[in-house]
Amino acid sequence: MARRAAAQLAALLCLVGATCALARSQSLQRLTVLSFDLAADTGAPQAGVPFHLIVTLRVRERAAQIENLDLPMLAQLELLGDERETVSGPRGTRYRETITVIAHDAGPMGVAPATLQAIDSRDGKAKEWYTNGLTLRIAGTGGRVVDDGGRALLLGLVMIGLGTAMVFLLVRRRRRVQPAPARAAPMPVCVPAPPVERSRRDRVCDALAVLRAERTRVAAVTVRTAIWRMAGATDGETLGDVLRRPDSRDPITRGLLIALERAAFTYDEDLPAAIVDACSALERYVEETR
Amino acid sequence: MIAPRSPADLRAALGATIVGQEGVIEALLLALLCNGHVLLEGPPGLAKTLACRSLAAALDGEFKRIQFTPDLLPSDIVGTRIFDQRESAFATVLGPIFANVVLADEINRAPAKVQSALLEAMQERQVTIGPQSYCLPDPFVVMATMNPLDSEGTYALPIAQMDRFLMKVSVGYPSRDEEIRILDRFAVADTQPVRAIATLDDVRAWRAQAHGVHIEEKLKRYIVELVAATRRAQHVRVTAGTGTELRAAELIEYGASPRATLALAFLARGRALLDGRDFALPDDVRSVAPHVLRHRIGFNFRLATEGLAADRVIEAIVEAVPAP
Repeated sequence: MARRAAAQLAALLCLVGATCALARSQSLQRLTVLSFDLAADTGAPQAGVPFHLIVTLRVRERAAQIENLDLPMLAQLELLGDERETVSGPRGTRYRETITVIAHDAGPMGVAPATLQAIDSRDGKAKEWYTNGLTLRIAGTGGRVVDDGGRALLLGLVMIGLGTAMVFLLVRRRRRVQPAPARAAPMPVCVPAPPVERSRRDRVCDALAVLRAERTRVAAVTVRTAIWRMAGATDGETLGDVLRRPDSRDPITRGLLIALERAAFTYDEDLPAAIVDACSALERYVEETR
Repeated sequence: MIAPRSPADLRAALGATIVGQEGVIEALLLALLCNGHVLLEGPPGLAKTLACRSLAAALDGEFKRIQFTPDLLPSDIVGTRIFDQRESAFATVLGPIFANVVLADEINRAPAKVQSALLEAMQERQVTIGPQSYCLPDPFVVMATMNPLDSEGTYALPIAQMDRFLMKVSVGYPSRDEEIRILDRFAVADTQPVRAIATLDDVRAWRAQAHGVHIEEKLKRYIVELVAATRRAQHVRVTAGTGTELRAAELIEYGASPRATLALAFLARGRALLDGRDFALPDDVRSVAPHVLRHRIGFNFRLATEGLAADRVIEAIVEAVPAP
């Protein structure tokens, strides 16, 4: 169950990230990425207790806003809030996005990396940067097994350990005869992750995972957008435009596009059937391209 | 006994009789499903009369054709009261407007009072002759034609009157292939008469179905955005015949009215039903948008001086509004 959830999360990221690349390539920012990471504010999140995922990006340029930064879709986590902060100064820009989430199920959970698409100022090429991924172990609601006495004991032990470590460090520093020559801190260079080449079939598999996990109109619209971009469509096109594209001529793809259009626009009572139909069309595509 | 049919069957039947002119056939069917009227603009000889006659025949309904001329009187359309000498009383003679499908040929050739008599009847769906009012038959569709080439001795339709037409369709010449098919078909015999494949009751049932076609919230917003874009088209760029790039707002005197918003929604529903769907798509809206906006946007003199066609500006506006 948890593995499937993690796979779905990863699939969501790949789906959204990879398929957005084409449409966005025309409007990418020129950035020198210095660091780009994803962190959680707790190492042991608990089911039912909100926690934060923090995406931090540092770039050399002064940018009023950061565009084309995709967060992983958190299908297994409920999104409670999203706060963005952009601080620009002479030394560049720091972008920080804090996402407040809550997990409802216990167990291990993978959070896929966030992605950023931009033109690398260093070589003028369009690239995709990835943060690190996160593996969280969500504790169940019964995870608070330590009682007050036990907690005090644990705290005492930690304090003793910290005190010992500090004494040890002070003694070591005093023993040094000559201080080590000061060295300039190396400029952190973010090596962009190699772009992940995902086949059309992989993307359709991702879409299928998304739609199976979340049978809602929002998910259907997301999957529709992703599949349309896979077919080379840009924002604002209609189904007719997409069906006229050379990439959409085969009957399987046409059937898939039509089924997703239905899921996006049909009435609420028909939505479950439309999503089942869209899943079948996605499965058919996966089967045919095996 | 006629088996229940769908609007798509009716389209297929008309398509089998009329070569090409899918736009005219679709416009007629949409007007029928949406309880509206169509204004057709195009040169003569493009099977407009045939399309109307075939539609009436396919529905087992009544067809009437009125040729508009400068000496036409309102009573020639709606009817009049004639004194019957034998009975020594006035008898009412209903005019040709009392039919299910009415072709008002060259509507702009008649003076304003005749045009307004027709348009009032179209709107109210009833006419008053003498002391009594008469309801027009249901369904009632008027297909009015205008010849864009020959404007001498014509009376231009006021914008307020034009707005009463649900859609205005530009009829073009058939393609070469279609014209060869026309040759082949008419070389053998005259037009094949269309058999009745549906009833007037079917049409009323289809209309009820069309009312129930779902329009998703984001599609409603798209419709509103499309119409709003005709009123503030500063961001829409159009390339003139001279090669200069113009803002569409510089060419537009006034944008489309909320009646256009309603018409877009009606027609999107109708088109969805025609395609056998019970939910509308952005494609439905986009395909009917030019027909809805064509006669509802007022263009200024620059359109002509820049050598631009109104359709080109409408196309640019439609393209500028991203579909959901």
